[in-house]
Amino acid sequence: MSLRVLLVDDEAEFLETLCKRLARRDVEAFTADSGQAALDFLASGEVDVVVLDVKMPGMDGIETLKRIKALRPEQEVIMLTGHASMEAAIQGMQLGAFDYIMKPTDISQLLYKIEDARKKHGLKAGAGRRDGGGGR
Amino acid sequence: MSLRDWLSFLGGKKKALVDAAALRAEFAGRYHHFKLFLNANNSVHELMTDIEEGLRGTRPFGMHFVRAVCTRLSTAVFQVVKHLDALAPGKYAELFARFDEIQKQINPSVFPGKARSGGPLILRLREVGREHVDLVGPKMAHLGEIKNRLGVTIPRGFVITAEAYRRFMAENDLQVEIDRRFQAAEVVATEDIFNLSSSIQQLIVSSPLPAEVEEAILAAFDTLRDSEQISDLHVAMRSSALAEDLVDASFAGQYRSKLNVSEEELVAAYKLIVASKYSLQAIAYRLQRGIREEDVAMCVGCMSMVDAVAGGVTYSRNPLNAHDEAVQVHAAWGLPKAVVDGSTEVDLYLVSRTAPHRILRREIAEKHTRYACLEEGTCRMEVTTLDSARPCLADADALEVARVALAIEEFYGLPQDVEWALAPDGTVEVLQCRPLTTSEEDALGAEEVVPEDARFGMVLLKGGVEASPGVAAGPVYVVRKDADVLAFPRGAVLVVAHALPRWAALLTRASALVAEQGSLAGHLATVAREFGKPALVGLKDAVSALEPGRMVTVDAGGHTVFDGRVEELLARARAPKNLMLGSPVYTALEEAARHILPLSLLDPGSPDFRARNCKTFHDITRYSHEKAVWEMFRFGTEHDFPQAAAKQLVCGVPKQFWVVNLDDGFSEDVLGSFVNVEQIASIPMLELWKGMNAVPWEGPPPVHTRGFLSVMFEATANPELEPATQAEFAVKNYFMISRHYVSLQSRFGFHFCTVEGLVSERASENYIAFQFKGGAANMERRVLRARFVADMLTEFDFGVRLREDSLTARLEDREQTFMEQRLRVLGYLVIHTRQLDMAMTDAAAIAERRERMLRDIRVLL
Repeated sequence: MSLRVLLVDDEAEFLETLCKRLARRDVEAFTADSGQAALDFLASGEVDVVVLDVKMPGMDGIETLKRIKALRPEQEVIMLTGHASMEAAIQGMQLGAFDYIMKPTDISQLLYKIEDARKKHGLKAGAGRRDGGGGR
Repeated sequence: MSLRDWLSFLGGKKKALVDAAALRAEFAGRYHHFKLFLNANNSVHELMTDIEEGLRGTRPFGMHFVRAVCTRLSTAVFQVVKHLDALAPGKYAELFARFDEIQKQINPSVFPGKARSGGPLILRLREVGREHVDLVGPKMAHLGEIKNRLGVTIPRGFVITAEAYRRFMAENDLQVEIDRRFQAAEVVATEDIFNLSSSIQQLIVSSPLPAEVEEAILAAFDTLRDSEQISDLHVAMRSSALAEDLVDASFAGQYRSKLNVSEEELVAAYKLIVASKYSLQAIAYRLQRGIREEDVAMCVGCMSMVDAVAGGVTYSRNPLNAHDEAVQVHAAWGLPKAVVDGSTEVDLYLVSRTAPHRILRREIAEKHTRYACLEEGTCRMEVTTLDSARPCLADADALEVARVALAIEEFYGLPQDVEWALAPDGTVEVLQCRPLTTSEEDALGAEEVVPEDARFGMVLLKGGVEASPGVAAGPVYVVRKDADVLAFPRGAVLVVAHALPRWAALLTRASALVAEQGSLAGHLATVAREFGKPALVGLKDAVSALEPGRMVTVDAGGHTVFDGRVEELLARARAPKNLMLGSPVYTALEEAARHILPLSLLDPGSPDFRARNCKTFHDITRYSHEKAVWEMFRFGTEHDFPQAAAKQLVCGVPKQFWVVNLDDGFSEDVLGSFVNVEQIASIPMLELWKGMNAVPWEGPPPVHTRGFLSVMFEATANPELEPATQAEFAVKNYFMISRHYVSLQSRFGFHFCTVEGLVSERASENYIAFQFKGGAANMERRVLRARFVADMLTEFDFGVRLREDSLTARLEDREQTFMEQRLRVLGYLVIHTRQLDMAMTDAAAIAERRERMLRDIRVLL
């Protein structure tokens, strides 16, 4: 089962590049160019992991994160940002973000984080267990 | 881990999980958190290494680096705490409070509050004095000061202030976007900085000015035109950036100036000069000198354009020779630009410092070009043959220019660098003055010392990783076990097989460290850097190749160990000059590092090793690591499995071992109550099992009469050995496994041991932990046996801790095949040290047994 990821960023160019690079690694990437668009997407569709830009015009990343968590408490979210801010980073983590990564980020690093986040999500949901024989 | 912790093995509470599936699910979750914990832990160490690197000051860095590294580090430390909390919910909640506290201490130095703001958008030069330096920048403040206090002639004009600049940067979040581009830039090559510089400058030039700023500039220009009474007024626009005087830095040629600008071009020129804050050389210069971007507000001076007959630069003394006191007047035809940018040969007039001033020497050059004003801007023109060889200053002019420079020097008490123009009416107008930089230009970094081996004598070893920089010499001293520590001589080169944290204390006495294994991120490497001791790790065969007592020179940067003392290298290895020391950026990192790097929780066995004593991020990480391993480990020891979950292991015949599959430890579905060893997919379990079965156990050793009596005595004296509780001590051996994980608990009669291992291709996550306790013989023999086992484990790279008869050993951070070998060794020891306590009597027997075991083990490796 390929990974499903929602990328949320107001920078079209960044979204496009990341989408292409993730596709090459067998990741099904969807995009949203604003917090509201991300929420609209999640209201109907499901993804394993959301990758969320912190700084966006209108609804910012932290606010979007709060609303995503209200909508889906179990949704794993990775914050991605071009702005260093210790406070935003920790605020995001305290709100339940899986991780806070700063641009520029190495694509394998990001993918690795996405995999880890999905694994955690799967564990919490009780799915994703490769049952090698429980003897029942 | 303390003895108190391990005691729980013997009397700990059992969590009876009824359902094997639930147990598996819980394990899988814990196991995942533990892996994430280890990842975060590694990030912390890598980032701390980056900070140490920065503090050495040999490479320039900016606030963006400081912010990024501190933010990443906070995130990683928070994750360390979070995943530990997931392993033991609520148990270490205190760490969250410590984390918040420490983060609050770091934040102000890394993200200082907003710069001062407010004030007028425009100031007229005749109103400007040094008290306005924060509004107009030091360059314009100086000009205003010498005009209004000293009476020096300068052109009329005004300054577009720092407040105007701040409003421009706030318009449409321009600054926020600039910072984002900086943060997100992947700067690897010069080309990358070039792209970044160009994209930011274009952004600034194409952004609109706030309406009130544009109006203020145009109004000021109108006022200036009225007072000059020139209908077609042109101005010279010069940058005057804040923070230019923050460090002992010249800032020469940092930013743009625009000459001969008309009203139409005023706003565009202003934006261009502001944009030059992000010119390639300006970015590089700030980086190198540790000046914070946000301290640099670009103020711009606008002064009536002087169409100079001649112009130039005066140094109030010789910048290269402190003993030469003559004033140097450099001059050319036309605008001083010709002198400033070195585009033409110039005249030099040396003027005596003391009155009556006289010309000491004239060096008249062939001046082929001059700059003059055009309709808009300036142009370079040919100088007529007639004029080119002529002095461009009359003696009286040269003396006047020198007098002005000396007056300014006296006023400021510092040698000056003065740019001036000779107006058509013969007045000398000062356009700019600044303290003269008399130091030679710093090199960008330390010269790399690349030893030509032949020149420095015999090379004993080459390779490894530079874990801590520098060069040092001393006699070789190999440390294998704790006892060796006592005899460690001051100034020796510490040579170890494995860079264990326990050798850290020796680094205060050692001159350098050489380790066969270890990493940059290891605790020992960290301490070596902290103490400034050169360290080479991952240097294969160091222990066997370096004979004890031999004098060697360790060149960490050169990855070489030389024979004898190489004086030349030792002399060259002086610490490189720290270019950034004392700069605002460096200071910010230094202040942050005080709450990050120091490690005060050194000994996990100490009563002070507590969450509430964590004072730094390093402390939190160290403490959490200790606890996370313990929590992960405990899981295996606290669960009593329902028989149904466990399958009896079959290896030819059914064995007295049971297996619980936690996740993906079986290669196929296993039905019924037996599992064949072929169906096991757990890498670490298979290796352990190999070691356990490599050599058949010869059964209990022959019991000496005294040994047997000691067992009998213990059996009557120890309440745990009463028949009623015998069941607790029945042979019960459990493996809990997943593909990369094994936990073995076994009890053989009276003793108890546990092995835990995590082994995969991610070396940084690998570890093996081993505990061993109890026995039936008297304490003295049990202690002897524990020592015997500890000694064997030390031989095979384990870090060992002994407390009377209980032993704990660990091995971590090594690649997969190495871990697999060590699991085989451990398997062998688990089996063959059973009931050895009864045979622990005479030294000869012990030595003989030890030799035999070592022979067996070598076959396994």
